[in-house]
Amino acid sequence: MSRIGVFVCHCGENISATVNCEKVAQISKELKGVEFSTDYKYMCSDPGQTMLKEAIKEHKLDGVVVAACSPRMHEPTFRKACSEAGLNPYLCEMSNIREHCSWVHPKDDLTTEKAEDLVRVMVEKVKKNKALNSIKVPVTKTALVIGGGVAGIQAALDIANCGHKVVMVEKQPSIGGHMSQLSETFPTLDCSQCILTPRMVEIAQHPNITLYTYAEVEKVDGFIGNFKITVRKKSKSLDEHLCTGCGLCTTKCPQKKIPNEFERGLGFRPAIYVPFPQAVPNKPVIDRENCTYYIKGKCKVCEIVCPTKAIRFDQEDELVEIEAGAIVLATGFDVLKSDFFPEYGYGKYKDVIDGLQFERLASASGPTMGEIRRPSDGQIPKKIVFVACAGSRDPAKGIEYCSKICCMYTAKHAMLYKHKVHDGTPYVFYMDIRAGGKMYEEFVRRAIVEDETQYIRGRVSTIYEKNGKLIVKGADTLMGAEPVEIEADMVVLATAGVANHGAEALAQTVHVSYDAYKFFAEAHPKLKPVETNTAGIFLAGACQAPKDIPESVAAASGAAVKVAALFSNDELTREPLIAVVNRQAPPVFSSCVGCFLCQSVCPYQAIEREEIKNRNGEVIKTLAKVNEGLCQGCGTCVALCRTKAIDIHGYSNQQVYTEVMALLND
Amino acid sequence: MNELINKVTKLLNDKTIDAFIGYGQGSTDRVRAIFARTVEQASKLIYTPACTFNLSGYLLKHEVKHLGKLGILANVAALRSIMQLASEFQIKDGEVYILFVNDDASLTEFSDFQSIEAFLEKANIDITPDEKARIEKIEAMSVSERWEFWNKEFEKCIKCYACRAACPMCYCHRCTTDVNQPQWIPVASHERGNLDYHLMRAMHLAGRCINCGECANACPMDIPLNLLTYQLIDPIKTGFGATAGMKADAVYALSTFKPDDKENFII
Amino acid sequence: MQDFEPKIVAFVCNWCTYAGADLTGTSRTKYAANVKIIRFPCTGRIDFMILMKAFENGADGIIVSGCHPNDCHYSTGNFHARRRWIVFRNLMNFTGIDTERILFSWVSAAEGFKWADVVNNTVAKIREMGPYENYNKIAVSTLLKEEVSNHE
Repeated sequence: MSRIGVFVCHCGENISATVNCEKVAQISKELKGVEFSTDYKYMCSDPGQTMLKEAIKEHKLDGVVVAACSPRMHEPTFRKACSEAGLNPYLCEMSNIREHCSWVHPKDDLTTEKAEDLVRVMVEKVKKNKALNSIKVPVTKTALVIGGGVAGIQAALDIANCGHKVVMVEKQPSIGGHMSQLSETFPTLDCSQCILTPRMVEIAQHPNITLYTYAEVEKVDGFIGNFKITVRKKSKSLDEHLCTGCGLCTTKCPQKKIPNEFERGLGFRPAIYVPFPQAVPNKPVIDRENCTYYIKGKCKVCEIVCPTKAIRFDQEDELVEIEAGAIVLATGFDVLKSDFFPEYGYGKYKDVIDGLQFERLASASGPTMGEIRRPSDGQIPKKIVFVACAGSRDPAKGIEYCSKICCMYTAKHAMLYKHKVHDGTPYVFYMDIRAGGKMYEEFVRRAIVEDETQYIRGRVSTIYEKNGKLIVKGADTLMGAEPVEIEADMVVLATAGVANHGAEALAQTVHVSYDAYKFFAEAHPKLKPVETNTAGIFLAGACQAPKDIPESVAAASGAAVKVAALFSNDELTREPLIAVVNRQAPPVFSSCVGCFLCQSVCPYQAIEREEIKNRNGEVIKTLAKVNEGLCQGCGTCVALCRTKAIDIHGYSNQQVYTEVMALLND
Repeated sequence: MNELINKVTKLLNDKTIDAFIGYGQGSTDRVRAIFARTVEQASKLIYTPACTFNLSGYLLKHEVKHLGKLGILANVAALRSIMQLASEFQIKDGEVYILFVNDDASLTEFSDFQSIEAFLEKANIDITPDEKARIEKIEAMSVSERWEFWNKEFEKCIKCYACRAACPMCYCHRCTTDVNQPQWIPVASHERGNLDYHLMRAMHLAGRCINCGECANACPMDIPLNLLTYQLIDPIKTGFGATAGMKADAVYALSTFKPDDKENFII
Repeated sequence: MQDFEPKIVAFVCNWCTYAGADLTGTSRTKYAANVKIIRFPCTGRIDFMILMKAFENGADGIIVSGCHPNDCHYSTGNFHARRRWIVFRNLMNFTGIDTERILFSWVSAAEGFKWADVVNNTVAKIREMGPYENYNKIAVSTLLKEEVSNHE
């Protein structure tokens, strides 16, 4: 026989204005198993909670129903109060008689009757509730950071400086990411390399950080606190311990005409190469697809010239197993490919380039040593057109979002250009100027006022080449949509930032969700911006959505603090509202028949196989088992299980069945 | 028939199998399953046009499993059952010795699941035109006519669970019917208990039914309950691209999804 | 039929529709009191048998509602639910269960107004259809009373 307490809240007048709370309490008292019931002005107030606690003790209650607001609001409050009074918190349920009743119905008998129904349902449910204990999961205090751009670097350093081990995996031969490609950064115009390279070096030298470059995550198993990750270290064809980074091999390599990815194709590199002079680690890799030896079986010049004999042509990929308690995804973004803009001639005309290429032209270490020279003939362009929103905010082409960083870097590009080519004229075609951010609007004003950038509000319809000039046709919508035609020497497209190549596959490997644009999805757009829906996996930087450097760094520090918080205890505590596969005495063991149809419905890969063995060690049964660390309690497996071997705490078959019965049979 | 007996005799003699599930003469003029463990028992195996029922249901029965390594005479339905059971991890590749009688009475032995899959790709797996016509007839009725039709049929049900026992896919040790906390399916064989039972059975077989028809054959009250699961075969095939019992590593249609699964009723 | 007050049960997921219904409340949007909500963690948790139980215990109508595709708190629970609904709805149709009495919907946490509409439209529709007499004939309240004791 149950001893349930029912507490009906007036919520000031929020509930009592339309629901007769006294009557609800009175009627509830008549329900079978209800020992005590009362109504009170504010149950969530201190006196309200005290009353609840005292009633639990005085009446030896073994279940509590609080009829008040939405459980999404105060369930934790009342469960905590119950716990403080010595009642298991999971023996407390709430009836939502405010949001789902008093606020949506007029003052009449029906409304009060509905409140009574809702209370009755919860009284019946709570009879079937079980005392539950929160789940403890051990935590491996190592973080895996995937991606070595500025976000990954920031996250890794922050975590490492908290005293935790970090493993960083970067797929390129060097860390640094897109930021290392930038010339100067808005809104301060400080040199990107100057602020980034010290951090890159810190990564390499930090005692808590292990760095794997030219490596990719191949497999992720496990769950929060206990991930097992397989990393493929691609062969660099090099013994990194012997290599001193002297660079002799890179100068002697006969294969010199490979488009340089770091220079966005504006320069060349050899087959054995270091991506850029400040690379970390500053040791070369052999690009096997372009190496003469791997193609033709002959060459080995690098091996011959290497003073320390560090070249290893037969080196194979290495698989490294990592155990980590948390994962930070910081894999960054990409920009649209050239085939996206046939109307702009991008990819067709050499002097139509994208923003990242312009960064390389403006960079002191770039292919032109920082002089703005157009790719086709090396001339200094006198008229240059910047096209903002190249791809962004274009529902017709599928990129509906604003890439966010382009307005600012376009203004920066115009300024850099003007600073280097004093007699040149920069034009910017734009839709709107979005310059929200500290010192951002002022920065754009400077580009317009001080550096005399010609901003034209309108879209460019077409670009074509004529007599060595690029004819840019557009409209000026502030001048009555008057057609504008500019004979430009060079065009820079502020191409939309898109999800990184391979983001979707990585999301599937790591088991996080992603949005329609293949950017990784945060758990909540406002309140959980660096968490993913997979516990223990966090997001940093532009892998989530286009972000500028300050935002990426802020997100990275946010992710780092989440990791540090997770690592602050040896065990983590989780809500026990998860699925369980029943277990029984031998020889039955469980009503699970091991069909494992539940396995593929689980969004979290939480269903494992447990082998039941006899005394001789032979497997006599294979049963499903829910991994407590992975299960998030959606219950999708429960509804699928034919034999009802899986059930879920908090929403058990008994509980939901009873709720329906109680609701419909008064 | 002699070829079959010779083959099974040999399999038993050289200990390839411990028991063979085949057809034998029943006590009346009906055929029944026999479980040949000795050469003498194997000599009673028959294969006649009456030998049409799906023997695969026995493979998972506790009593049969314990006979040791099993051989079975499979028809198309049994082969499909074996594939479906394999996809549900109930039978492993190579675990069962599978013989099949071809149209010319010669024997085919399936050495692995792959060969069964290849065979099934060409086999006729459709429901019969008669079954199809009966489904269409019911579909043509109005909602309340359908309700009346099935209510009448279910009224006959005596909850003997012969359909469950005959179904090769009903291998749970504890059926939902036997769950009493909560009592999902009322025990009594009144209209509600019967409706619940048959809806539950059909849903649990949706996407798993290989249309062998053993449920309806087993029903002593002649309820056409095979139609319940048969009519789901087509929507699952056209909607989700899935057909049960064709591949040993198939993913169950209701254990997976496509983000663009089509429906026209969710607002 | 004027006096007929339909009994409608809503099975909703915690993260979208339950929160959406909370928002309806917070916005003080009025709707009919006939609908009572039972909370599930996810539409993926909603067993088809619970729908059968609702009808046989006297529900005249049912609402099943959760997160829009791609919005599921658990990423994919609603996709699995959708497949099951497609199949179960087919089966109900075939056995003569009136699927017009079950409304499936996606109501997000931001769609407080949509929830009010869903409820009001369903109540109006069921009111017009009248009590679910076919099912009532075999309902718990009509058939063997011994069954009732089973759930207590």
